[in-house]
Amino acid sequence: MALPVLELRGIGKAFDGVPALKGIDLSVHEGELVALIGPSGSGKSTLLRCCNRLTEPDGGAVRFGGRPAPSGGRALAEARRRMGMVFQAFNLYPHLTALENAALAPRRAAGLSRKAAEQAAREALSRVGLADRADARPDALSGGQQQRVAIARALALRPRILLLDEPTSALDPELVGSVLDVIGSLKADGVAMLIATHEIAFAREAADRIVFLAEGRILESGPPEEVLDRPRSARLRSFLRRL
Amino acid sequence: MASIFETFLNGEVMLESAGLLLRGLLVTLEVSVLVIPGGIAVGAALATAASVAPPWLDRALSWGVDLVRAFPPLVLLVLIVHGLPFLGLEPPPLLGVAIALTVNTAAYYGEILRAGIASIDRAQWEAARSTGLSTPGVLRFVILPQAVRNVLPDLAGNTLEAAKLTALASAVALPDLLRMARIAQGVHFNPSPLVLAAILYLLFLWPLAGVVRRIGGRTTLPV
Ligand SMILES: Nc1ncnc2c1ncn2[C@@H]1O[C@H](COP(=O)(O)OP(=O)(O)O)[C@@H](O)[C@H]1O
Ligand SMILES: [Mg+2]
Repeated sequence: MALPVLELRGIGKAFDGVPALKGIDLSVHEGELVALIGPSGSGKSTLLRCCNRLTEPDGGAVRFGGRPAPSGGRALAEARRRMGMVFQAFNLYPHLTALENAALAPRRAAGLSRKAAEQAAREALSRVGLADRADARPDALSGGQQQRVAIARALALRPRILLLDEPTSALDPELVGSVLDVIGSLKADGVAMLIATHEIAFAREAADRIVFLAEGRILESGPPEEVLDRPRSARLRSFLRRL
Repeated sequence: MASIFETFLNGEVMLESAGLLLRGLLVTLEVSVLVIPGGIAVGAALATAASVAPPWLDRALSWGVDLVRAFPPLVLLVLIVHGLPFLGLEPPPLLGVAIALTVNTAAYYGEILRAGIASIDRAQWEAARSTGLSTPGVLRFVILPQAVRNVLPDLAGNTLEAAKLTALASAVALPDLLRMARIAQGVHFNPSPLVLAAILYLLFLWPLAGVVRRIGGRTTLPV
């Protein structure tokens, strides 16, 4: 049985008294791909951001690599390196080339030598099929290429898990496939992933488990066939119908 | 009656006072070389501190910056240069002037850089933090390079202002270009040294103004 990489226990979060997450229990094991689905506003982004504390949860515990995840200081910074995050809007550094985007944190956060950081960045760019665009700035790349550079930026840190927040939602339809292909190949390489997505066909094919979130609660969770083909709740049935 | 040339463009007087004026120009350049990098460094420190400070400290910094900006620069200069000895500090005159002008110009550089930092999307901070960069690392490698490019025209304009401000040094008896020109004017009973000083100022500031214009025409970063 694979070990859990990331475990959330009773995670809660409210914004100005309005609850966004209500007692989330969830774990992702080594090599596992867990897809988070649910309507907009159901708390998918908040859940992902609570994992690496870009959003500070109000309560509950995060465990990472079998131990309590650190809540501050250098230890938190190091844990963040090991939980790569990919954002809906890419959030690449516009003043840096693709290679520099991917090499920055290996050099300045992980403390690798310049050469080793570049090497890690080049390897990461090859894994997303962009070795030949290493010297391009983000504004010279298509949206799909930008998102792949953002994935490479996370991969260059050799993360134990990737947190992906609707990585294809900002893309033109014809560019979605290239990004999903990369995510599929990472899954084949055994990279653990927690991904918020509206791509149900992709989730069915690639996910080990699908988690359905509504109003800050996990309503259903299980293998794709079970969750997608035999929904138990009215909320999930109506959500799937409207897609 | 003396011709206008003999009065304002007297070659003999200019030649005789040239040595004095060049010494003055050197002092002016020395002050600039201290004040401009000093103002940028202190301004950057203020702006970055404000960007990560708790709200009360941010407000306190703004309050201090407004206070400094409210002083006419000459008043601030006189106050600091003549006030430092009462605090037991007796820096050489050049350094005293440099400190006073740095205080003034840092307040402006600081506000410009603060606006530059504010122009950068929160998402850039978050992306950088998510890779494990420390706050100083995020600022240095991600936020400041973009912030500076977004406000480069204002930074360049303020640099021109700071260079011009050095002429105030003559008011507290620093032997800068303007001061030397006025001494030469007194010695020769002739204003030609002032004209020569004006020419020297232009030789040093005109190209700088051109650079500022060219930078101002450049577009900011695409978002
Ligand atoms: N920074 C924030 N400040 C206030 N409310 C927020 C913030 N982030 C999210 N929320 C609220 O929390 C709820 C969940 O949002 P989110 O996690 O973004 O959902 P999803 O990603 O599933 O669309 C929403 O009601 C949203 O308005
Ligand atoms: Mg979201």
